[in-house]
Amino acid sequence: MASVVRNVLKSIREKGLVSFARELREEGFLNCLSDGNLLQTKIHNIGATLVGVDKVGNKYYEKLHQTQYGRHRWVEYASKDRYNASQVPPEWHGWLHFITDHTGDELLMLKPKRYGLDHKENFSGEGDEYIYHSKGHTLNPGQRDWTRYQSWQPTKTQ
Amino acid sequence: MGLGSLASRALRSSSSSRVLSTNPRYNLIRTIVSTPELHKPEAATEAASEPDLPKRTPIAGARVHFPNPDDVIEVFVDGYPVKIPKGMTVLQACSVAGVDIPRFCYHDRLSIAGNCRMCLVEVEKSPKPVASCAMPALPGMKIKTDTPIAKKAREGVMEFLLMNHPLDCPICDQGGECDLQDQSMAFGSDRGRFTETKRSVVDKNLGPLVKTVMTRCIQCTRCVRFASEIAGVQDLGMLGRGSGEEIGTYVEKLMTSELSGNVIDICPVGALTSKPFAFKARNWELKGTETIDVTDAVGSNIRIDSRGPEVMRIVPRLNEDINEEWISDKTRFCYDGLKRQRLSDPMIRGADGHFKPVSWRDALAVVAEVLHQVKPEEIVGVAGKLSDAESMMSLKDFLNRMGSNNIWCEGNGKYLDADLRSGYLMNTSISGLEKADCFLLVGTQPRVEAVMVNARIRKTVRATKAKVGYIGPPTDFNYDHDHLGTTPETLAAILDGNHPFSAALSTAKNPAIIIGAGIFDRQDTAAILSLLNSLSAKFKNLITPEWNGLNVLLLNAAQAAALDLGLIPESDSGMESAKFVYLMGADDTNLDDLPKDAFVVYQGHHGDKGVYRANVIFPSTVFSEKEGTYENTEGCVQQTVPAVPTVGDAREDWKIIRALSEVCGVRLPYDSISGVRSRIKNVAPNLLRVDEREAAVFSGLLKPEGSGKVSAVPFGVTVENFYMTDAITRASKIMAQCSALLAKK
Amino acid sequence: MLARLASKRLLEIRQAFRQSPQTIRSLSTALNYVSSNLCFLASKSFDLDSTGGTCAFSDFIDLVCLFGVCVQHIDTPENNPNVPWEFNEANKPKVNEILSHYPSNYKQSAVIPLLDLAQQQHGGWLPVSAMDAVAKVVEVAPIRVYEVATFYSMFNRAKVGKYHLLVCGTTPCMIRGSREIEDALLKHLGVKRNEVTKDGLFSVGEMECMGCCVNAPMITVADYSNGSEGYTYNYYVREHHKLHYYPFSHFNEDITPKRVVEIVEALKRGEKPPHGTQNPERINCGPAGGNTTLLGEPKPPPCRDLDAC
Repeated sequence: MASVVRNVLKSIREKGLVSFARELREEGFLNCLSDGNLLQTKIHNIGATLVGVDKVGNKYYEKLHQTQYGRHRWVEYASKDRYNASQVPPEWHGWLHFITDHTGDELLMLKPKRYGLDHKENFSGEGDEYIYHSKGHTLNPGQRDWTRYQSWQPTKTQ
Repeated sequence: MGLGSLASRALRSSSSSRVLSTNPRYNLIRTIVSTPELHKPEAATEAASEPDLPKRTPIAGARVHFPNPDDVIEVFVDGYPVKIPKGMTVLQACSVAGVDIPRFCYHDRLSIAGNCRMCLVEVEKSPKPVASCAMPALPGMKIKTDTPIAKKAREGVMEFLLMNHPLDCPICDQGGECDLQDQSMAFGSDRGRFTETKRSVVDKNLGPLVKTVMTRCIQCTRCVRFASEIAGVQDLGMLGRGSGEEIGTYVEKLMTSELSGNVIDICPVGALTSKPFAFKARNWELKGTETIDVTDAVGSNIRIDSRGPEVMRIVPRLNEDINEEWISDKTRFCYDGLKRQRLSDPMIRGADGHFKPVSWRDALAVVAEVLHQVKPEEIVGVAGKLSDAESMMSLKDFLNRMGSNNIWCEGNGKYLDADLRSGYLMNTSISGLEKADCFLLVGTQPRVEAVMVNARIRKTVRATKAKVGYIGPPTDFNYDHDHLGTTPETLAAILDGNHPFSAALSTAKNPAIIIGAGIFDRQDTAAILSLLNSLSAKFKNLITPEWNGLNVLLLNAAQAAALDLGLIPESDSGMESAKFVYLMGADDTNLDDLPKDAFVVYQGHHGDKGVYRANVIFPSTVFSEKEGTYENTEGCVQQTVPAVPTVGDAREDWKIIRALSEVCGVRLPYDSISGVRSRIKNVAPNLLRVDEREAAVFSGLLKPEGSGKVSAVPFGVTVENFYMTDAITRASKIMAQCSALLAKK
Repeated sequence: MLARLASKRLLEIRQAFRQSPQTIRSLSTALNYVSSNLCFLASKSFDLDSTGGTCAFSDFIDLVCLFGVCVQHIDTPENNPNVPWEFNEANKPKVNEILSHYPSNYKQSAVIPLLDLAQQQHGGWLPVSAMDAVAKVVEVAPIRVYEVATFYSMFNRAKVGKYHLLVCGTTPCMIRGSREIEDALLKHLGVKRNEVTKDGLFSVGEMECMGCCVNAPMITVADYSNGSEGYTYNYYVREHHKLHYYPFSHFNEDITPKRVVEIVEALKRGEKPPHGTQNPERINCGPAGGNTTLLGEPKPPPCRDLDAC
């Protein structure tokens, strides 16, 4: 923890307060305040190795010590507000899901050029703006209400 | 680590495959693998009959009782000797021996069809595998359930069954609790040889409760047998032949039975599933809570399956003495009423006549203040039909401390004497009804009042052709009955002996008279009861040391416990002079006589009939959210277990009363549910003996004879709408659909 | 640097796969599978051409019609539960006679003869209300009667013509060309299976083995032209062609479909074409051109003296 504080102070000293704040925002630290998933990822990132960055800018981390086996690889999405799993390109998918130990960069070398279609995030049929988030996801607006009963409304009866 | 290792792994696998490929079997796509031991079953069976076998326990608590010691025969199941009574089938013998035979069409409580062939076992000296469900066990039979022949037979049957069964388990509601799924995992092959197209069958409309996907049907005919044997509606049938066979009604018809939900449970595949539960949850997501049902006085044993704070479905639980393994549709499908119209906050009616949510502190303070202003004799308490014994005890204690003893439970009427338990219980007991050979139903329609009791009577009538006489308004029964009359005077005629039925009653060995709880609301309750008393005096076979045939069939879950606790009104004119009424979930109490200026506290869980007259509302819990003791109509005490958390700011009934007593300054001396129970122990100790039936000590009614004359007013219909009898079922959408269907008919 | 490494390893992998015979075998297996499937498809399509229009698909449709949809009753103006139906005066004594064969507590045993009687009374088919009437007579729930009536193909649950032509569909007849006969019938009458012609005279259905496979294929004409009293089943047997060594090769001779059409036309004119084999060279089930064996009087079985008893 001390090293984190030291690094923060160091970068403020180097970049100045304004550009440090901008960087904070771009790196998604401000989103952490409202998004627990992102915050947890950021906390996880401390002490982890950055294995690679794909073409979209998703960062792939690995931490082999002091983590539960099976949770030792994760991704921090490039998009800090509207991220979903389909933003991971296929070459990194295998690494991220423990299918292979080859990182996406390595696999990219093997990829024949003639499969020229680029990976695209999984958009729903309702335009690129709309992304479906499963129920319980922070970005699913309709599922915030966890009340599973319906109250009697006194005004209706009077 | 790198691609090199990947390559080496590929090399390794190739070398291993080369080794395997020396076996010619692996070059074929698939052949029927023939194993030598299949052709020599003797070799395999010899290994099975070793002298000391581990002790096996019977499957699912299979009980063996020998009605006649001469009829004991001994068979050998996998070399293990078992003693069984004569007439048992091979399958039953196996289950006694602790071997579970796979089956689809066989069901303990239905007639034997023997058409699925899944239960094939090998029997020594039999040329073919035999269908164990239909084969009676013979003395000295050597049954082998674990031999290669039996296994191969099962595998073959499974392959045939799966030929026309769609492999749509991921979208099937039965997935996870499907007999076919489980048994194909356990006994089936890993592939089929059928390459043609599967058949498809048009889905049938069986009403708002049962969803059908007939393509999944495997023609076990359990539903057909259930409908005609248990439910007593001859609607379903097996139509067509061969691969065109299907279950249906032939003509457009809905299955109108109060037990129709049980076909969901007995269907071994996903052909009949619950319509309200469709696509709501998977069974492994659900938490099962074993509790009891309170929608009628039978107290059927149920399991509430919940996910998180929500009750997802209700399924029956086996209890041979009460509901066997069936439950009524009302019990099964009322659960969506638990989630609708709930009272979640204490409310006070303001000066403008509108309810306003307030805090518990304010609500209790207001009630306490009003309570202190009224005279003790003007206080009235009414317990609702769903109240548990603990809350009724605390209500009685509280109002007694306030000086009033005008507390009763709705449905018990004004004229009932609670001194003798035999006067309000089903003394024969529900399972005891099976021994009866002559029934007389007085003013009761058990088909709508207590479905499980009716199913028991139907079972008896079917098995023994017992005679059923009925006095009451015309209604439909699902068994043969004689409609004797509509008024209590018919009862008097039977007593006089000039009615043809009195001959039947006097010649019967175990006659049973069942009186409906509807007579408690009549003016001539005492006269009818004394009439019955004289009946029992006249027909000596009615009450003998072994048999008590005088029964009262109660309507509501709270009634028996209320009478045990002595919730009896002190004066006849309780409501007319009341200034303060405490309704504890009482929705069906007539409040017309109540003075306009009376103060009404409604403590309940649903915004039902009771709240319209209320001044203060205390939100309380339903049976799925609380721990409560209930006594059913035969005197069996059972407890509910909380399955889901309470809603909103609601509290358990006894806790509310305990809190109110403290605010009123008459603190009740118990702080926990065990405290309430130890108080109950002083009043009615039988209510603490859970899951036990406490029979009445005195049999007979011991009523003074000739207390008034029976009136000529015909018996009324007690339950107008089977699907909507209490606050929970009235809030349920599914029940509303059912009763709309009922009204249309 | 990384690229070079990767390409090297790729080479390694390729080499590894080249050495693996299993991969190649599995690939060839897959190819075999695909090609055999293709052959199968090709043969199917060839089949389709050679038989001239009868393809597997129409058979499938027929199967669906036979087994899938028809079991459920669909209300029509002439066939719904509200149509009044009861046994007529002439049949009422027969009903009592049939019931008298069975013990009074097993009345349901009479369901099949009673359904047959009802079918004869109603011109060869059973409306729902007739089944209900039978259910009332034998005192069971209607569904129990529906179960029986749907089980037996001899009970027609839809309207049939005055002459109900039943083509045998069992294996020997099918091999000997019953499909062609049915096609010819359907084409000539311009109806589908289980459909009645506009004039109400004919309908075509299927019947299973009539037990005369030596004369296959055969058709049955259920003749309701004289009402239920004179109702008969007439069996018509295909004109037998000379025996060939390869019976299948002479299938498209079209002799029999022609003969079937002739029979239909004769029935339409009100004639009664002779039943039995339609081959003039044959007598009943004997071979064409007279018997070649068993010419003398058959000898009695050696072990029994029939006159003694």
